[in-house]
Amino acid sequence: MSYKITEEGNIATVHLDGEIDMDVTEKAKELIMPLIESGKEVHLNLKEVQYMDSSGISVLIESHQKAAELGNRVVLKEISKSVLKVIMMAKLEQILIIE
Amino acid sequence: MTFSESKEFKVHSSSLKEIRTFAREVLAKDEILKSTSDDVVLAIAEAAQNIVKHAYNGKETSDNLKVEISYDNNQLKIDLYDKGEPAIPTNIKPRDVDDIKPGGLGTFFIGQIMDEVMFKTAATDWVNHLILIKNY
Repeated sequence: MSYKITEEGNIATVHLDGEIDMDVTEKAKELIMPLIESGKEVHLNLKEVQYMDSSGISVLIESHQKAAELGNRVVLKEISKSVLKVIMMAKLEQILIIE
Repeated sequence: MTFSESKEFKVHSSSLKEIRTFAREVLAKDEILKSTSDDVVLAIAEAAQNIVKHAYNGKETSDNLKVEISYDNNQLKIDLYDKGEPAIPTNIKPRDVDDIKPGGLGTFFIGQIMDEVMFKTAATDWVNHLILIKNY
């Protein structure tokens, strides 16, 4: 997994790239959680994520819940077809914020 | 087409990518299997992840796990073997998918993708033997 973070105003966009599995979830959390905790609205661009397993989905849930707890939000952007399929299998398409 | 291929991997989260690569390559041998490859690869990887997470509780080990992929008579059979803590099949349940919380989705995904999921008492040197079946 590789990543790029851009910030504009109160929005931090994390562009993730590669495959997100149990081996990289800690790294993903270390990237995303501080941005949420700093009060930013976090956009996760998943266009270049070719694979995500249940560990990756857990990061999305945890991020969503943490942001909601702080009165903010995590928005999923440009989700790749394969990741969207897994999100739908987990029946999370109505729970997570997808734009 | 009929085939059976197996490979051993270190019990470690860093092996998951290699397991997916192996599974993708084997499933690419047949057009029908190729069409559901993404789902089946996810199921295999989730089962392997469960071995790392639960059979070994994430502890470092020099043990291997084995993945065997067989296809015969329109039936895909995946056998996963490990030497971790013995699994208690009745304790392995997918969580309620409507209970939104991180974790516990792997077993749910496996159940969604595969037609049959069962543990067999290993009559080999292995401790756990998980069998996943998908009919085509």
